Amino acid sequence: MDRRDFLKAVGLTAGVSGAGALLAACNANEQSGGAGTVTVSSGGTLYVLYDVTSQRLDPAKSSSLAITTSGLIHRRLTAWTTSADAPATVVPDLATDTGRASADGKTWTYTLKPGLKMSDGTPITSAEIKYGIERSFDAAFSGGLGYHKTLLDGGSSYTGPFKGGDLASIETPDPQTIVFHLARPYGDWPWIVSMPAFAPVPKGKGTDANYDSSPIASGPYQVASLTKGVEIRLTRNPNWDAKTDLARTGLPDEIVYQLGQDSGVIAQRLLASSGNDAFGFGASFVNPAQLAQIRTSPAAKNQLVTSKSGALAYLALNVRRGPLANLKVRQAFQYAIDKTAFQIATAGNADLAGPVASTLITQGITGREEFDLYPAPPNGDVAKAKQLLAEAGFPNGIENLDFPVSTANNRADLAQALQAALQRAGIQTKLRPLDDDAWTAIATGNDDNAYDLTLSSWQPDFPSANSNIQPLFGTSEIGNGGYNLSRYSVPEVDALITQAQGTVDPAAAGKLWAQADRRILQDAPVVPLIYTRNSFLHGSKVGDFVIGEFPAYPNYLQLGLAK
Amino acid sequence: MNRTLRFVGVRLAGMIAVLLVVSFGTFAVFYLLPTDPALMSCGKPCTPENLAVAREFMGFDKPWIQQYFDFLGAIFTGRTFGTGATAIVCPAPCFGYSFQQNESVLALIGDRLPVTVSLAVGAAVIWLVAGIAAGVASALRRGRFTDRAAMTVTLAGVSAPAYLVGLLGILLFGFTLDVVPVSGYVPLAQSPVDWAWHLVLPWLVLAFINAAVYARLSRGQMLEVLGEDFIRTARAAGLPERTVIGKYALRNVLLPVVTVFAIDLGTLLGGAVITERVFALPGLGGLLVDAVHQVDLPLLMGVSLFAAFFVVLANFVVDVLYGVLDPRARVS
Repeated sequence: MDRRDFLKAVGLTAGVSGAGALLAACNANEQSGGAGTVTVSSGGTLYVLYDVTSQRLDPAKSSSLAITTSGLIHRRLTAWTTSADAPATVVPDLATDTGRASADGKTWTYTLKPGLKMSDGTPITSAEIKYGIERSFDAAFSGGLGYHKTLLDGGSSYTGPFKGGDLASIETPDPQTIVFHLARPYGDWPWIVSMPAFAPVPKGKGTDANYDSSPIASGPYQVASLTKGVEIRLTRNPNWDAKTDLARTGLPDEIVYQLGQDSGVIAQRLLASSGNDAFGFGASFVNPAQLAQIRTSPAAKNQLVTSKSGALAYLALNVRRGPLANLKVRQAFQYAIDKTAFQIATAGNADLAGPVASTLITQGITGREEFDLYPAPPNGDVAKAKQLLAEAGFPNGIENLDFPVSTANNRADLAQALQAALQRAGIQTKLRPLDDDAWTAIATGNDDNAYDLTLSSWQPDFPSANSNIQPLFGTSEIGNGGYNLSRYSVPEVDALITQAQGTVDPAAAGKLWAQADRRILQDAPVVPLIYTRNSFLHGSKVGDFVIGEFPAYPNYLQLGLAK
Repeated sequence: MNRTLRFVGVRLAGMIAVLLVVSFGTFAVFYLLPTDPALMSCGKPCTPENLAVAREFMGFDKPWIQQYFDFLGAIFTGRTFGTGATAIVCPAPCFGYSFQQNESVLALIGDRLPVTVSLAVGAAVIWLVAGIAAGVASALRRGRFTDRAAMTVTLAGVSAPAYLVGLLGILLFGFTLDVVPVSGYVPLAQSPVDWAWHLVLPWLVLAFINAAVYARLSRGQMLEVLGEDFIRTARAAGLPERTVIGKYALRNVLLPVVTVFAIDLGTLLGGAVITERVFALPGLGGLLVDAVHQVDLPLLMGVSLFAAFFVVLANFVVDVLYGVLDPRARVS
């Protein structure tokens, strides 16, 4: 998965729009699961219609979610199960459990299920897992999800198995056992080992870049053919053992990715569902411009699936510059914002856009506590905002706040809705629309003084509150490409993050994260806006098309087809 | 003979100079932008250490002027990225290596070129024939129904956006009438029939958009030529109208048309971005869009150079063709 995909995953970019106007409109309907109407069985060919032109299939380079493409091909030590009405959970995959931690949370031991083989017949032992992880450290295979690279002891200076030899912090005392020694206690390690780099790679394989086109599979599917930019054809991996797999149903016989498809055409094809298109689904979410029209098409009733929740859209306030360094001013922002207007700008109405947000931890994450430190009607409390501004010493409002915004994904329009809302309270912002790359360079760059506020969106990489909080509010994430856009640095919060990360018991860690959530919002470094819903379209004969509470993407591993 | 050789030699030198300027310009513009091509290969979370490793591996850690000369040098000597077992070798002539697509830029362009050539040439034949025919017919029936109708249709073609025309075409011929496939590409070598079948709609869409200019151009030109002395002379000499129009007038009409056509075709060979996108044709236009989106500098350089090469080549061909079509323009 490339950076653009990642941006898409966090809701930063949009596909080509404009097709919406051509789609027929009939009657409206509510958000629907649709999955229940199709009875699935084993067999058939599933078509994945994608607007992007490349997919990362090399486990070292992949940054895809555990429930999407790479999960079809690669098993890891653990996997995710998702459900439409429960938080995502971590389950054993190649391992017999989700990991046994030492008392200090720094050593994690896994036992592998016996008798498993890869598609080329290589037995899956601890050596294949260790080699796969080590391989991800080589400069030639960088680009994937790399949380383990700094967590494993000695990982920061390790250069991979080809130049750096053996990584001592991964021990393989016997073929069924693998032990990880971490640099610091880390309670979310069971989630980390669900990431692509924890897939087995036969020792000595994968030395060249072509492994990305023809990886050796451990999951239900292997790559049968790949035409760059055009098509990927997956067929059954005869060595996959369904009985040992808790996360994958492996129902279709084949899965064909059609790449580089126009998003407007994808929507039309799926709604028409003629021929093979009935067995397809769109891998990118339907963009808001198309959504309003698609939703009113009769086929959409059963074929459009909208998530219950999703990425947190938020307004980041730069706590290190100008008037926004003042807590009272930032609190005034909490009341001045009109979240209803933001919903309408996002998708035309509140229901399609997603629920109003008041916490940093997103819905569908274990341990999340619902609270609102700044209770106000969804369209804001202008009087209260003005009062706070006056208390802060700005009775006449604030002028000339620099508000850079990416032009991708309708962001500039969303920012206008925020600008208008702030104006009601006498806060004048100057929008600075930028190309997405330019925006990223400024927002994640090292200059603390480069902007006053900006609009962003965040979806965790794994279903732990850790992934909601640390990347956005840890001091280490300021600048250098990090996403602490508020440039928020509070020792007490950093300590809380370290403590929560080091807590092995998920329930206890969850309490600490919820505490961090509250503590951070007391400082009001961001205004949580909405939990952005994603909508996906599938063909009329695709079933078990379920979007879990988290992540707001369909679980590819569970899809099935009607006869 | 010597003069012709010198003409060709001077033109070739000019072409290389233009390509050098284009490559340098592309490189410079890319580095003026606040983007970091290594960011795409940094992974998540992107630590400063990871970024430095990626940057060094891809060769983006050097000053950009040096990177430019490395790029030029690699065309003659090839290039190796990284060291040891996992090194990536890009043999000469190396026009760069795309780390996003895991392939040398030349191989990527080679993969995509047949698609773009199929699309561009097929569409060009249609629009050239249809455009000139419509233009000439309009001129000969000036002010009458044929003229009005042809010019109205071409006005629609020239003003409609490609994306809209493409989608309307798909909606009408693909979904409603269900007569042609709506997307995809079948290589000519695999099945000529399927090849043409998948391309017929994109051809018509591109032709519809482009033919307008040719119809209007050849109409205007034809009207002008028909008023010339030599046409009156030819008619006075009793030559059949078919000969007057088909031989004398048309040849003069073709002169400016050829110039525009060569450049249009050259530009199109660099990639028809929107048409390729709408019909999911994996051509050079799509490759260029990917390169821009993925901040893939080597690919961007390669495709831009290639596109520029076609435009320059087209100009060269026009100059040569001019001599053939119009004896007055020959080197003498």
